[in-house]
Amino acid sequence: MMSKAILLVSRHAPTDGSSARELLDIALAGGAFDLPISLLLLDDGVLQLAPHDFSLLQQKNLSANLQALALFGVEQIYAAERSLCERGLNTLNSTLPVQRLDDAAVSQLYRQHDVVITL
Amino acid sequence: MKFAIAVFSSPDQPSNRRALRFAEALLAAGHTLERLFFYQAGVHSASAHVVSPQDELDLPKAWLQLIQQHQLDAVVCIAAALKRGQLNAEEAQRYARSGHSIDAPWELSGLGQLHEAAQSADRLICFAGP
Amino acid sequence: MSTTLHILSHSPFSDLRLSSCLRVLNADDALLLCGDAVLALQADTAHSAALELMPDSIGLFVLAEDLAARSFIDTVPARIRIVDYQAFVDLTLAFDKVNSWT
Repeated sequence: MMSKAILLVSRHAPTDGSSARELLDIALAGGAFDLPISLLLLDDGVLQLAPHDFSLLQQKNLSANLQALALFGVEQIYAAERSLCERGLNTLNSTLPVQRLDDAAVSQLYRQHDVVITL
Repeated sequence: MKFAIAVFSSPDQPSNRRALRFAEALLAAGHTLERLFFYQAGVHSASAHVVSPQDELDLPKAWLQLIQQHQLDAVVCIAAALKRGQLNAEEAQRYARSGHSIDAPWELSGLGQLHEAAQSADRLICFAGP
Repeated sequence: MSTTLHILSHSPFSDLRLSSCLRVLNADDALLLCGDAVLALQADTAHSAALELMPDSIGLFVLAEDLAARSFIDTVPARIRIVDYQAFVDLTLAFDKVNSWT
Protein backbone atom coordinates (compact mmCIF):
# COMPACT_ATOMS: atom_id res chain seq x y z
CA MET A 1 0.00 0.00 0.00
CA MET A 2 1.17 3.52 -0.78
CA SER A 3 2.18 5.60 2.21
CA LYS A 4 -0.11 8.44 3.14
CA ALA A 5 1.26 11.85 2.17
CA ILE A 6 1.82 13.99 5.26
CA LEU A 7 1.68 17.76 5.36
CA LEU A 8 3.44 19.29 8.36
CA VAL A 9 2.45 22.91 8.98
CA SER A 10 4.87 24.94 11.06
CA ARG A 11 3.32 28.18 12.39
CA HIS A 12 5.80 29.23 15.07
CA ALA A 13 8.84 31.48 15.03
CA PRO A 14 12.10 29.66 15.84
CA THR A 15 12.38 31.89 18.90
CA ASP A 16 8.90 30.98 20.19
CA GLY A 17 9.63 28.02 22.45
CA SER A 18 10.12 24.52 21.15
CA SER A 19 7.23 24.21 18.65
CA ALA A 20 9.28 24.93 15.52
CA ARG A 21 11.96 22.47 16.61
CA GLU A 22 9.49 19.78 17.65
CA LEU A 23 7.67 20.06 14.32
CA LEU A 24 10.99 19.64 12.48
CA ASP A 25 11.67 16.56 14.61
CA ILE A 26 8.42 15.06 13.29
CA ALA A 27 9.59 15.87 9.75
CA LEU A 28 13.01 14.31 10.26
CA ALA A 29 11.52 11.18 11.85
CA GLY A 30 9.12 10.83 8.91
CA GLY A 31 11.96 11.30 6.44
CA ALA A 32 13.97 8.61 8.23
CA PHE A 33 11.07 6.22 7.59
CA ASP A 34 11.00 7.23 3.90
CA LEU A 35 7.52 8.70 4.27
CA PRO A 36 6.30 11.32 1.81
CA ILE A 37 6.55 14.48 3.91
CA SER A 38 5.91 18.08 2.92
CA LEU A 39 6.69 21.03 5.17
CA LEU A 40 4.68 24.24 4.97
CA LEU A 41 5.93 27.34 6.78
CA LEU A 42 2.87 29.43 7.55
CA ASP A 43 2.25 32.58 9.60
CA ASP A 44 5.18 33.11 12.03
CA GLY A 45 6.64 29.83 10.75
CA VAL A 46 8.18 31.72 7.81
CA LEU A 47 10.49 33.44 10.31
CA GLN A 48 12.43 30.17 10.37
CA LEU A 49 13.84 31.22 6.99
CA ALA A 50 15.18 34.53 8.31
CA PRO A 51 18.71 34.87 9.74
CA HIS A 52 18.99 34.72 13.52
CA ASP A 53 21.79 34.74 16.04
CA PHE A 54 20.48 31.98 18.27
CA SER A 55 23.63 31.91 20.36
CA LEU A 56 22.59 35.18 22.02
CA LEU A 57 19.51 33.36 23.32
CA GLN A 58 21.57 30.29 24.29
CA GLN A 59 19.55 28.32 21.80
CA LYS A 60 20.69 25.73 19.31
CA ASN A 61 20.75 26.84 15.68
CA LEU A 62 17.46 25.76 14.15
CA SER A 63 18.65 26.35 10.58
CA ALA A 64 20.91 23.30 10.94
CA ASN A 65 17.76 21.19 11.45
CA LEU A 66 16.16 22.82 8.41
CA GLN A 67 19.24 22.10 6.31
CA ALA A 68 19.14 18.48 7.51
CA LEU A 69 15.69 17.96 6.00
CA ALA A 70 17.10 17.24 2.53
CA LEU A 71 19.49 14.63 3.98
CA PHE A 72 16.44 12.87 5.42
CA GLY A 73 14.63 12.98 2.08
CA VAL A 74 12.29 15.83 3.01
CA GLU A 75 12.57 18.02 -0.08
CA GLN A 76 9.09 19.47 -0.42
CA ILE A 77 9.46 22.69 1.56
CA TYR A 78 6.97 25.51 1.07
CA ALA A 79 6.49 28.97 2.51
CA ALA A 80 3.32 31.05 2.36
CA GLU A 81 4.04 34.14 0.28
CA ARG A 82 1.42 36.12 2.19
CA SER A 83 3.05 35.30 5.55
CA LEU A 84 6.44 36.45 4.21
CA CYS A 85 4.98 39.71 2.86
CA GLU A 86 3.05 40.43 6.08
CA ARG A 87 6.33 40.17 7.99
CA GLY A 88 8.35 42.34 5.60
CA LEU A 89 10.32 39.34 4.37
CA ASN A 90 9.21 39.29 0.73
CA THR A 91 12.73 39.95 -0.54
CA LEU A 92 14.32 37.41 1.80
CA ASN A 93 16.98 35.26 0.18
CA SER A 94 16.92 31.90 1.90
CA THR A 95 19.71 29.38 1.44
CA LEU A 96 17.04 26.70 1.81
CA PRO A 97 15.33 25.61 -1.43
CA VAL A 98 11.83 26.79 -0.59
CA GLN A 99 8.86 27.12 -2.92
CA ARG A 100 6.75 30.18 -2.24
CA LEU A 101 3.00 29.66 -2.53
CA ASP A 102 0.17 32.14 -2.93
CA ASP A 103 -3.10 31.64 -1.00
CA ALA A 104 -4.67 29.41 -3.66
CA ALA A 105 -1.59 27.19 -3.82
CA VAL A 106 -1.53 26.89 -0.01
CA SER A 107 -5.17 25.72 -0.06
CA GLN A 108 -4.31 23.30 -2.82
CA LEU A 109 -1.48 21.87 -0.69
CA TYR A 110 -4.00 20.89 2.01
CA ARG A 111 -6.09 19.13 -0.66
CA GLN A 112 -3.13 17.16 -1.93
CA HIS A 113 -2.17 15.51 1.36
CA ASP A 114 -3.76 12.65 3.29
CA VAL A 115 -2.70 13.71 6.80
CA VAL A 116 -2.04 17.16 8.28
CA ILE A 117 -0.23 17.93 11.51
CA THR A 118 0.06 21.57 12.55
CA LEU A 119 2.32 22.81 15.33
CA MET B 1 -12.99 2.75 11.93
CA LYS B 2 -9.47 3.02 13.32
CA PHE B 3 -8.49 6.22 15.11
CA ALA B 4 -5.23 7.58 16.47
CA ILE B 5 -5.14 10.53 18.84
CA ALA B 6 -2.18 12.84 19.37
CA VAL B 7 -2.20 15.10 22.42
CA PHE B 8 0.15 18.11 22.39
CA SER B 9 -1.23 20.03 25.38
CA SER B 10 -0.75 19.58 29.10
CA PRO B 11 -3.60 18.49 31.40
CA ASP B 12 -4.16 22.10 32.49
CA GLN B 13 -5.34 22.99 28.97
CA PRO B 14 -8.98 22.48 27.91
CA SER B 15 -7.88 20.64 24.76
CA ASN B 16 -6.38 17.85 26.90
CA ARG B 17 -9.80 17.12 28.39
CA ARG B 18 -11.39 17.45 24.94
CA ALA B 19 -9.04 14.72 23.70
CA LEU B 20 -10.14 12.46 26.57
CA ARG B 21 -13.84 13.04 25.86
CA PHE B 22 -13.27 12.43 22.14
CA ALA B 23 -11.48 9.16 22.92
CA GLU B 24 -14.35 8.04 25.16
CA ALA B 25 -16.91 8.96 22.48
CA LEU B 26 -15.19 7.07 19.69
CA LEU B 27 -14.79 3.97 21.87
CA ALA B 28 -18.47 4.20 22.91
CA ALA B 29 -19.40 4.28 19.22
CA GLY B 30 -17.57 1.00 18.66
CA HIS B 31 -14.57 2.42 16.83
CA THR B 32 -10.99 1.34 17.53
CA LEU B 33 -8.41 3.59 19.16
CA GLU B 34 -5.16 2.23 17.79
CA ARG B 35 -2.84 4.55 19.65
CA LEU B 36 -2.66 7.53 21.94
CA PHE B 37 0.49 9.56 21.31
CA PHE B 38 1.58 12.27 23.73
CA TYR B 39 3.98 14.95 22.47
CA GLN B 40 5.11 18.44 23.52
CA ALA B 41 3.42 19.42 26.80
CA GLY B 42 1.04 16.49 26.32
CA VAL B 43 3.69 14.31 27.99
CA HIS B 44 2.55 15.64 31.39
CA SER B 45 -0.65 13.60 30.93
CA ALA B 46 1.39 10.51 31.80
CA SER B 47 2.76 11.86 35.05
CA ALA B 48 1.92 9.98 38.23
CA HIS B 49 3.18 13.02 40.14
CA VAL B 50 0.37 15.40 39.27
CA VAL B 51 -1.68 16.30 42.35
CA SER B 52 -4.99 17.81 41.29
CA PRO B 53 -7.11 19.86 43.69
CA GLN B 54 -9.90 17.65 45.08
CA ASP B 55 -12.66 19.58 43.35
CA GLU B 56 -10.99 19.52 39.92
CA LEU B 57 -10.91 16.84 37.26
CA ASP B 58 -7.71 14.79 37.60
CA LEU B 59 -6.84 14.32 33.93
CA PRO B 60 -3.72 12.16 34.32
CA LYS B 61 -5.80 9.81 36.49
CA ALA B 62 -8.69 9.85 33.98
CA TRP B 63 -6.29 9.04 31.12
CA LEU B 64 -4.79 6.18 33.10
CA GLN B 65 -8.23 4.74 33.85
CA LEU B 66 -9.27 4.95 30.19
CA ILE B 67 -6.03 3.31 29.08
CA GLN B 68 -6.37 0.49 31.61
CA GLN B 69 -10.08 -0.05 31.01
CA HIS B 70 -9.68 -0.36 27.23
CA GLN B 71 -6.10 -1.68 27.24
CA LEU B 72 -5.02 1.16 24.97
CA ASP B 73 -1.60 1.66 23.48
CA ALA B 74 -0.41 4.88 25.16
CA VAL B 75 2.92 6.19 23.89
CA VAL B 76 4.79 9.18 25.30
CA CYS B 77 7.49 10.75 23.11
CA ILE B 78 10.70 10.04 24.99
CA ALA B 79 12.62 13.14 23.86
CA ALA B 80 9.69 15.44 24.69
CA ALA B 81 9.21 13.73 28.06
CA LEU B 82 12.86 13.84 29.12
CA LYS B 83 13.21 17.56 28.56
CA ARG B 84 10.00 18.19 30.50
CA GLY B 85 11.10 16.13 33.47
CA GLN B 86 8.80 13.14 32.93
CA LEU B 87 10.88 9.96 33.23
CA ASN B 88 10.15 6.29 33.72
CA ALA B 89 12.31 4.18 36.05
CA GLU B 90 14.70 3.16 33.27
CA GLU B 91 15.37 6.75 32.17
CA ALA B 92 15.65 7.97 35.77
CA GLN B 93 18.38 5.41 36.32
CA ARG B 94 20.09 6.22 33.01
CA TYR B 95 20.26 9.95 33.82
CA ALA B 96 20.79 9.50 37.57
CA ARG B 97 17.60 11.31 38.58
CA SER B 98 16.19 10.78 42.06
CA GLY B 99 12.75 9.61 41.03
CA HIS B 100 10.50 8.73 38.14
CA SER B 101 6.99 9.84 37.25
CA ILE B 102 5.92 7.50 34.46
CA ASP B 103 4.97 3.86 34.99
CA ALA B 104 3.40 1.13 32.86
CA PRO B 105 1.05 0.98 31.01
CA TRP B 106 2.50 4.24 29.68
CA GLU B 107 5.30 3.57 27.26
CA LEU B 108 8.18 5.89 26.30
CA SER B 109 9.12 5.71 22.65
CA GLY B 110 10.05 7.79 19.62
CA LEU B 111 8.29 9.86 16.98
CA GLY B 112 8.25 6.85 14.66
CA GLN B 113 5.25 5.70 16.71
CA LEU B 114 3.37 8.86 15.71
CA HIS B 115 4.13 8.24 12.04
CA GLU B 116 3.17 4.59 12.32
CA ALA B 117 -0.17 5.59 13.86
CA ALA B 118 -0.76 8.27 11.20
CA GLN B 119 -0.14 5.69 8.49
CA SER B 120 -2.22 2.86 9.90
CA ALA B 121 -5.22 4.67 11.40
CA ASP B 122 -8.12 5.89 9.27
CA ARG B 123 -7.97 9.22 11.12
CA LEU B 124 -5.31 10.98 13.17
CA ILE B 125 -6.88 13.62 15.41
CA CYS B 126 -4.55 16.09 17.15
CA PHE B 127 -5.49 18.04 20.26
CA ALA B 128 -3.51 21.06 21.39
CA GLY B 129 -3.75 24.63 22.55
CA PRO B 130 -6.54 25.96 24.72
CA MET C 1 -8.28 15.39 -3.78
CA SER C 2 -8.76 15.23 -0.06
CA THR C 3 -11.16 17.22 2.12
CA THR C 4 -10.29 18.63 5.53
CA LEU C 5 -12.14 19.27 8.76
CA HIS C 6 -10.32 22.19 10.38
CA ILE C 7 -10.53 22.55 14.17
CA LEU C 8 -9.93 25.82 15.98
CA SER C 9 -9.79 26.35 19.73
CA HIS C 10 -8.10 29.76 20.18
CA SER C 11 -10.03 32.97 20.76
CA PRO C 12 -10.19 34.89 17.47
CA PHE C 13 -9.82 38.11 19.48
CA SER C 14 -6.30 37.33 20.65
CA ASP C 15 -5.01 35.18 17.84
CA LEU C 16 -4.75 35.08 14.03
CA ARG C 17 -5.57 31.42 13.52
CA LEU C 18 -9.19 32.01 12.47
CA SER C 19 -8.30 34.45 9.68
CA SER C 20 -5.44 32.22 8.56
CA CYS C 21 -7.77 29.20 8.55
CA LEU C 22 -10.51 30.97 6.58
CA ARG C 23 -7.96 31.64 3.82
CA VAL C 24 -6.88 28.00 3.44
CA LEU C 25 -10.40 26.51 3.53
CA ASN C 26 -11.38 24.78 0.31
CA ALA C 27 -14.97 24.82 -0.96
CA ASP C 28 -15.82 21.36 0.43
CA ASP C 29 -13.96 21.68 3.73
CA ALA C 30 -15.49 22.39 7.12
CA LEU C 31 -14.66 24.22 10.31
CA LEU C 32 -15.35 23.07 13.87
CA LEU C 33 -15.11 25.69 16.58
CA CYS C 34 -14.34 24.52 20.09
CA GLY C 35 -12.89 26.08 23.23
CA ASP C 36 -12.52 29.84 23.02
CA ALA C 37 -12.79 29.75 19.21
CA VAL C 38 -16.52 29.61 19.95
CA LEU C 39 -16.25 33.36 20.66
CA ALA C 40 -16.19 33.84 16.88
CA LEU C 41 -19.95 33.20 16.97
CA GLN C 42 -20.75 36.17 19.19
CA ALA C 43 -23.26 38.39 17.39
CA ASP C 44 -22.26 41.79 16.03
CA THR C 45 -18.57 40.97 15.79
CA ALA C 46 -16.29 41.03 12.77
CA HIS C 47 -15.62 37.32 13.25
CA SER C 48 -19.26 36.20 13.13
CA ALA C 49 -19.74 38.44 10.08
CA ALA C 50 -16.75 36.77 8.37
CA LEU C 51 -18.17 33.33 9.14
CA GLU C 52 -21.57 34.28 7.74
CA LEU C 53 -19.84 35.32 4.49
CA MET C 54 -18.22 31.91 3.99
CA PRO C 55 -19.53 30.03 0.94
CA ASP C 56 -22.54 27.80 1.72
CA SER C 57 -20.55 24.74 0.69
CA ILE C 58 -18.30 25.13 3.73
CA GLY C 59 -19.75 23.38 6.77
CA LEU C 60 -19.57 25.35 10.03
CA PHE C 61 -19.83 23.44 13.32
CA VAL C 62 -19.50 24.21 17.01
CA LEU C 63 -18.85 21.82 19.88
CA ALA C 64 -22.00 21.78 22.02
CA GLU C 65 -20.44 21.87 25.48
CA ASP C 66 -18.11 24.75 24.62
CA LEU C 67 -21.01 26.79 23.27
CA ALA C 68 -23.30 25.93 26.20
CA ALA C 69 -20.56 26.74 28.73
CA ARG C 70 -20.35 30.26 27.28
CA SER C 71 -23.97 30.95 28.09
CA PHE C 72 -23.61 34.66 27.28
CA ILE C 73 -23.64 33.64 23.61
CA ASP C 74 -27.41 33.30 23.29
CA THR C 75 -27.88 33.03 19.54
CA VAL C 76 -25.74 31.57 16.79
CA PRO C 77 -26.10 32.05 13.03
CA ALA C 78 -28.66 29.65 11.51
CA ARG C 79 -26.06 27.89 9.36
CA ILE C 80 -24.01 26.77 12.36
CA ARG C 81 -24.59 23.15 13.34
CA ILE C 82 -24.11 22.17 16.98
CA VAL C 83 -22.32 18.84 17.58
CA ASP C 84 -21.84 16.79 20.74
CA TYR C 85 -18.82 14.49 21.11
CA GLN C 86 -20.59 11.61 19.35
CA ALA C 87 -21.35 13.85 16.37
CA PHE C 88 -17.77 15.21 16.57
CA VAL C 89 -16.49 11.65 16.04
CA ASP C 90 -18.85 11.17 13.07
CA LEU C 91 -17.78 14.54 11.68
CA THR C 92 -14.11 13.53 11.60
CA LEU C 93 -15.14 10.55 9.47
CA ALA C 94 -17.15 12.69 7.06
CA PHE C 95 -13.93 14.37 5.90
CA ASP C 96 -10.76 12.76 4.61
CA LYS C 97 -8.55 14.29 7.29
CA VAL C 98 -8.61 16.56 10.31
CA ASN C 99 -6.34 19.56 10.85
CA SER C 100 -6.18 21.02 14.35
CA TRP C 101 -4.87 24.58 14.46
CA THR C 102 -2.83 23.75 17.54
